[in-house]
Amino acid sequence: MKTKSLIAVVSTALLLGSMYAQEATRNDATKHETAPKPAPTTTPGVATNWKQIGIPTLPPFKPQEPRRVVFPNGMVVFLTENHELPLISGSAMVRGGAASEPANKTGLVELYGATWRTGGTTKLSGDQLDDYLEARAAKVETGGGEENTSISFNCLKADFNDVLGIFVDLLRNPAFREDKLALAKKQMNSSISRRNDETEDIASMQQDILGYGKKSAYALVPEYATVATVTHEDMLQWHKQHTTPNNIIFGIVGDFDSKQMEATLRKAFGDWPKGEKVPDAKVVVEPEKPGIYIVDKTDVNQSEIRMISLGIVRKNPDYYALQVMNEIFGGGFSSRLFSNLRTKAGLAYSVSGAVGSGWDHQGLTVLEIGTKTETTTEAIKGLWEQVDLLKKEAPTELELKRAKDAILNSFIFNFDTPAKVLREQQTYEFYGYPRDFLEQYRSGVEKVTAADVLRVANKYVHKEDLKVLVVGNASEFGKQLSSLGSVTPIDITIPTPEAKASSTKAPGNTADGKAAIAKFVEALGGANKVNAVKTLHQMVSLQQQGMEIKIDQSIVYPDKQMQKMTTPQGEMTRVVTPSAAFIAMGAQVRDLPPSRRSFETASLKRDFLNVLQHTNDSKYTFSASGKEKIGEAEATVVDVDADGAKSQWWIGPDGKLLQEAFSEAGEAGPTTLTMKYSDWKSFEGLQYPTKFEMVNGEQSMGKMTLTSMEINPTVDPKLFERPTQAQ
Amino acid sequence: MIRLKAYLPLLVLFCALQTGSAQDLASFEKRVQVKTLPNGLTVLLLQRPQAPVFSFFTVVDAGDAQDPTGKTGLAHMMEHMAFKGTNNIGTTDITAETAALVKVEQAYADYDRENNRVVNHDEKKVAELKAAWEKARQDADQYVVKNEFGEIIERNGGVGLNASTGLDSTQYFYSLPANRLELWAYLESERFLHPVMREFYKERDVVMEERRMRTDSTPTGRLVEQFLSAAYDGSPYHRPGIGYMSDLQHFSATDAANFFKTYYVPSNMALAVVGDLDADKTFAVIERYFGRIPSGPKPEEYITAQTKQNSERTVLLRDPSQPFYVEGYQRPNFRDKDDPVYSVISSVMSDGRTSRLYRTLVRDKKIAVAAAGFSGFPGDKYRNLYAFYAVPSQDHTATEMATAIHEVVEKLKSDGVTPDELKMVKTRSKASLLRSLANNQGLAINLAENQMKYGDWRELFRRIDKIDAVTNEDVKRVANEVFVETNRTVGILETNKSTAKGAQQ
Repeated sequence: MKTKSLIAVVSTALLLGSMYAQEATRNDATKHETAPKPAPTTTPGVATNWKQIGIPTLPPFKPQEPRRVVFPNGMVVFLTENHELPLISGSAMVRGGAASEPANKTGLVELYGATWRTGGTTKLSGDQLDDYLEARAAKVETGGGEENTSISFNCLKADFNDVLGIFVDLLRNPAFREDKLALAKKQMNSSISRRNDETEDIASMQQDILGYGKKSAYALVPEYATVATVTHEDMLQWHKQHTTPNNIIFGIVGDFDSKQMEATLRKAFGDWPKGEKVPDAKVVVEPEKPGIYIVDKTDVNQSEIRMISLGIVRKNPDYYALQVMNEIFGGGFSSRLFSNLRTKAGLAYSVSGAVGSGWDHQGLTVLEIGTKTETTTEAIKGLWEQVDLLKKEAPTELELKRAKDAILNSFIFNFDTPAKVLREQQTYEFYGYPRDFLEQYRSGVEKVTAADVLRVANKYVHKEDLKVLVVGNASEFGKQLSSLGSVTPIDITIPTPEAKASSTKAPGNTADGKAAIAKFVEALGGANKVNAVKTLHQMVSLQQQGMEIKIDQSIVYPDKQMQKMTTPQGEMTRVVTPSAAFIAMGAQVRDLPPSRRSFETASLKRDFLNVLQHTNDSKYTFSASGKEKIGEAEATVVDVDADGAKSQWWIGPDGKLLQEAFSEAGEAGPTTLTMKYSDWKSFEGLQYPTKFEMVNGEQSMGKMTLTSMEINPTVDPKLFERPTQAQ
Repeated sequence: MIRLKAYLPLLVLFCALQTGSAQDLASFEKRVQVKTLPNGLTVLLLQRPQAPVFSFFTVVDAGDAQDPTGKTGLAHMMEHMAFKGTNNIGTTDITAETAALVKVEQAYADYDRENNRVVNHDEKKVAELKAAWEKARQDADQYVVKNEFGEIIERNGGVGLNASTGLDSTQYFYSLPANRLELWAYLESERFLHPVMREFYKERDVVMEERRMRTDSTPTGRLVEQFLSAAYDGSPYHRPGIGYMSDLQHFSATDAANFFKTYYVPSNMALAVVGDLDADKTFAVIERYFGRIPSGPKPEEYITAQTKQNSERTVLLRDPSQPFYVEGYQRPNFRDKDDPVYSVISSVMSDGRTSRLYRTLVRDKKIAVAAAGFSGFPGDKYRNLYAFYAVPSQDHTATEMATAIHEVVEKLKSDGVTPDELKMVKTRSKASLLRSLANNQGLAINLAENQMKYGDWRELFRRIDKIDAVTNEDVKRVANEVFVETNRTVGILETNKSTAKGAQQ
């Protein structure tokens, strides 16, 4: 899943139960042969030691295999009768998923998966479907995944014909109504804005980027810009190209007669024409360089640590040995990671590790541990130690036996319900695995030896390949980490929604917009005064959180700015030019992070004098979007696009700028900031505000007073040069 | 005991849903058997011979609401300790280990007392006592066989092995192949017959990490903790179930053992087993093994009652996170006669895309990505909260959620629900019960929980009849009684932009 379901976030937050373990998944039926120790029995018929208890032979159990039918149009159908309850459910896997969507439209398949159902059919709107289905306590749902999309239903037997009608109609005549696409896009943008709120979400997103590479479709996530490009046409096009009978594997289970059901389905789908075969996704996989990567999150007291590298494809013959290795290493309550790092060291609640496997591409090998900030380094070293041990020595006979017993004795839980067997068969068909893959798995695991485990550990687990990711309070663990090697910070700033302003408002110039700008120019003293400004030198006093900061600022229009800030803590200089962007503090010089640099560059582009000097440049547009009251004054609202740097201006009745709003990217999602201007004074005939206030919603971020201003002073070009760092 | 009248309509109803299937509720009901062992343990058994496997669910009628003052999180800690083995699982020498554990407790008590001393606090002495305690722990650890209890279950094919602790109760569960019945009965009875509080203080570290993960390091976790502490006073629901950090750093293995002795008594527990099992043989095995657990009195059930609220309370949290909104209204406990009315309200307000909150906040106003209402926050055994929450869409605030939720609630108070909505809720409750019947673990949970809460597992089915009897007048009456401002607690998570910005520098 590319964006996390928000409902999942909330239900986790409101779910209050605490559990013994975060998760424990295991996969059955042989006798354990531990020699029974004779011991005295105290209660008749009661064992005094678990080893005394005999395990009877499990009665033979053959799961009911679904019947496989292929319709002439290529649709594959699996049918399983289950008469326990009067229910019927079914699901179709459709070839093609997010792995093959265009990178500049990342999110398209997820939006398709949402809008397929909510957008309704050509006959009924999604809302009408909701009413129709809910009245029957039935569900029809759709979704978009990495390799496939899906549509499923679940209903009482009595309602089957009604629900099948909807299901077929959605498959064959979906409408993807615009309003529901817009809603899904809004939801997706909201998910984007929330993706840095939780440590877990940050870690999962970065894990894929480090493991598969930032250009890989397995790692790409929707951004505001990619969501904005997705259209109704894309939905229709995707459906037409992918959702055709020959690309569908359909499974149905429940209280029906399989022959009759087959006839019903043939009637429903028989005349549906074949489409083009979906080509295999070609996904770039270019893992990032091994090393230590950190994401700073200041509001946590626990570090989430992941170690990541590429895993295997499940078809790999070493799959069985790796599953046994995983069981020994990091699966379950008796694994080495759980016993050593949790039980023995008390370092974590959540710890796990496994070589991952994918059905059609390499899965990710991930070692995970969540530990308090203070023990971050200790936990990393602990995981490394376990990796070393895994590669150095073969597991003991006892460890091997435990792991194989756990897998084989729980094997029956892979097929203890007809629905599970059906799902397995659909999956094998989809990815081209043999129908008896589960049986092969069992015999494969039985044959694994301790030497096999050691061999695969050395073949697939490489410490030097691991990307170590730490999401946590870097100011507190940062120093600890540098002892382990060089550390690369990851900037998780969410790119600003560039297209946001223009998507809701008509782009380009409007007559009212141009007129308001012309009035503004006049109010400042006319075009000649405005255009004459080549450089500015200003002294500003900033009051922020009860502290005064003095700013000495020089601007060379159009694109150079230097700010020297004097704070109680010392002096800091920030420079932004087309060729450099850095902060110098004492002898320390560091480059601005890319997101900060682009923000500062855009700020300078948006500077009102800079904008007003470009009123005739075609890259600058001014579009009025109405009137709004700011206090007592009725202001004209103008959307300004200054060569890509966007803002919104409120121009007062006197022609002067009252306030300006712009968006700033941030860790907690983009924020709209407003700068208010007042107390305009004349400087050599040029009107210029002397009071500024930055506001965030209701919250004041700081007030500034212009204490002096020089127009066109000589500015030393050396001010903008990056000093060479003296280490 | 069994009121035949109460579930007759139910059978009629399910027969109506059925169209000639061989399986129906009547046959289902015939398969459930209940026995109370002489020691007071209630055992439920349901045969479901679909595959040779079985699941169980043990519920203890004690949760973190029972934590003693100064020892919050103890019920949950005890649950973790129930994985540490017994006097012959997890040890190389129980006699030596027991003696060593006694010393650990003595050393810990000395250290803890000195550490908490306010006047004449002597850091040097604290450090010495801490060292002595750590030495005693090391000594005891030499006899430990790590995680042997869980390992036996896993080696025998156990899946879904876990346990959970809520404010109201504690539960243990997993599934095994059917041929492991006797082994299971041994393990699960020994677990409550001969528990050993080994590795207690390391496990306490693990629980502290769990707290950091679930509460401290997540914005919504932090909000919920503060929200509940504002909403409740008197009631133990005002304390975090996971425990306050300082309590986690204070309570001892002796405290956990005392909690165990008081609350883990057969009269305070129910056990349900569902799967491919022979009823007679299974009951015989269960009686043999679980019958050994000594009986004890049902523990004291009194807790400080929650006072009725008389003014709105608000918690506002500014964090580097997108906003979130939650509000809660006090309502009576789950035994209240109006409990089914709350279920109807929840369903109309929250279930699916036809629900009022979805349609208003998500679909029409487009100000939220999710919104719902639900009962029993954070538990339902005592007076609790009916809560509404909403996750604002991008650029929308928590305050807008409050306004929109109140609009929907006011409409419910004035107009109630429509006949179509009421019909939909009733159909849905029947269908969802039906769907829950095809799963061993789910059935074990439902049987044990209903037996524990109502003294009769049949409440699971009677509930459907009670929901069927709810009228529009009931909905209006309850909504008008409960959803009033003076009975409300509000929790707001607001983006702290300066921190969010600072974090980026």
